[in-house]
Amino acid sequence: MRKKKAVKIVTRRDFIKGAAMGTLGLALYGRERELIAGVGAEPGSAPFAAQNPQSVVVLIRGEKAVGAEDKIDAAAVQDMIDAAVREFAGEADTARAWAKFVKPDDTVGVKFTHCGWMRVHTEQPVIDAIVKRVGEAGVAAGRIIAQDEGLPVAKCTALINVPTVKVHTLTGIAVSLKNYINFSPKPASYHAPSTDLGEIYLKPEVKGKTRLIIVDVLRPYFGPGPQINPLHRWNYGGIMVGTDPVAIDTTCLKLCQVKRRLFKGEDWPISPPADNITAADKTFNLGTSDPAKIKLVKLGWGKDVLI
Amino acid sequence: MIASAFCLGFLSLAVLMSPTAPAEQTMASADFVLAKALPQDLAGWQKSRDDQVYNRDDIFDYLDGAGELYLAFDFRFVFVREYTKPDAPSIVVEIYQMSSSADAYGIFTQDTDGQEIRFGQDALYGAGLLRFWKDNVFVRIMADRETPEAKEAVMKLGGTIDSAIPEAGPKPEILGKLPVEGLEPPTVRFFHTVISLNSHYFMSNVNILNLSPDTQVVMARYEKNGARGILILVEYPSEDKAYSAGGRFIEMYLLQRFLPERKFPPVELENKKYAGAVRAGRCLAIAVEADDKATAEDLLKRASANL
Repeated sequence: MRKKKAVKIVTRRDFIKGAAMGTLGLALYGRERELIAGVGAEPGSAPFAAQNPQSVVVLIRGEKAVGAEDKIDAAAVQDMIDAAVREFAGEADTARAWAKFVKPDDTVGVKFTHCGWMRVHTEQPVIDAIVKRVGEAGVAAGRIIAQDEGLPVAKCTALINVPTVKVHTLTGIAVSLKNYINFSPKPASYHAPSTDLGEIYLKPEVKGKTRLIIVDVLRPYFGPGPQINPLHRWNYGGIMVGTDPVAIDTTCLKLCQVKRRLFKGEDWPISPPADNITAADKTFNLGTSDPAKIKLVKLGWGKDVLI
Repeated sequence: MIASAFCLGFLSLAVLMSPTAPAEQTMASADFVLAKALPQDLAGWQKSRDDQVYNRDDIFDYLDGAGELYLAFDFRFVFVREYTKPDAPSIVVEIYQMSSSADAYGIFTQDTDGQEIRFGQDALYGAGLLRFWKDNVFVRIMADRETPEAKEAVMKLGGTIDSAIPEAGPKPEILGKLPVEGLEPPTVRFFHTVISLNSHYFMSNVNILNLSPDTQVVMARYEKNGARGILILVEYPSEDKAYSAGGRFIEMYLLQRFLPERKFPPVELENKKYAGAVRAGRCLAIAVEADDKATAEDLLKRASANL
């Protein structure tokens, strides 16, 4: 059971000043800093940990990834994931790229998001594409566990975090940090405030196992909830790859913030602010939330990329 | 765990007496008055599985990750029915039984994006989702994907439920205390607790205003003469509680020393916006995000006149 921690009082004014949560404070007022954009990543040499001094996040988009009636093109998704993983790994060959992240003797948990009521699931073609490549990396089918609720994390030697992107009324945003919430027996205890969400990454059965984060940004959700409003979902056609959950969540936060402003035609701050992201950086040292330290590599379809 | 449709033992006597609530403590969901009104099939859509009912104890089994937002209101239970049709989007009907019409209205105001249409007492439709409230019931009907046929079916189901709710219910009384001039109606929100406040306007990670299920809160944005501001009105169960909350706001948010009998004019915050508060009896009026001091003063003055 989690110990009750003393709560540091943080108000909106602290966010305004940027003192409490750094760049997220600026994000609350729609003046978030630009991420560093670049083509041709120089991937970190230690891809199993948050990268310093810069965390690389690869975003690839495909115009045909989401087709008519919101149908996902599985072949396009496979190609996008392959290209993004190759770029991130700095390898020209897909098999060699995947070999950097999983070993034949691993037991690999593919932790996806299945949200029955909200319907912002990890799309099945994304899961299938990852499972296929993990298998081709030499991991036996019986040791690839693709699951959401109930994934036997203690049994896994490696994890691939495969979340979706959705703005969340209790945690600000739900991406890679939130996707591990059900590794806790008390997930609701990480809501409102969600500051401690990052500590799940440090649970003994989770710590150090996340080899890769592959985010399904095909159809993100930018609305407030509590339940889905289809007006707040859009076909973005993206896949995001990295190893730094904080950098990835920071990038997705910015994407949703920009989309919200476009939708309303005025600032529409994500509320509550995703303080779990900065806490994951400053308190739990899981990665960086500083845009100056995030190198966003953009591949593929560029129309309305927003970030 | 899927909630059993055969056990509604959680229902209070008050709800059981409601014309739209089940009449016995143990019954099938089919005995729920509004469920009886629903068709088994509609234009080829067939009821696809057993109806489900979730109450305050197991709402997280349905709304995993957002049950708190319903528990923040006096939510009693939700009835869920799904319709499917070959080669057509599925349609899910959710009927939320609240303890009061005020709370049905409150849930409805949590997301006001959509096109206004005529159902119940207020209704919105957009991209396959119909939401409306009437008396102590909040209804959501959503097609997985919007098609002309699905939209027609959604509207028919909405009409059926609307007709089966015999009477309208009153809106929260506190709405009557909102100044009229300059009010932007789509921004009106009614709620009770700090979780709801922070999902619309993050004030602090602690409950500065001492909000609770017993507080009635209405919040709205105003624009007058080109200047904007947000007004938050809180009605407490007692004058002491309103007094205490006002003091906390002045000390913890405005960062001024609270002294009884002293007047506190609106102050300029770090973002160049103005905030202030005034108490009258059991009510506290708070102006935030006002473009200038005069706007904050005007909002508080006009609110005070209604308290």
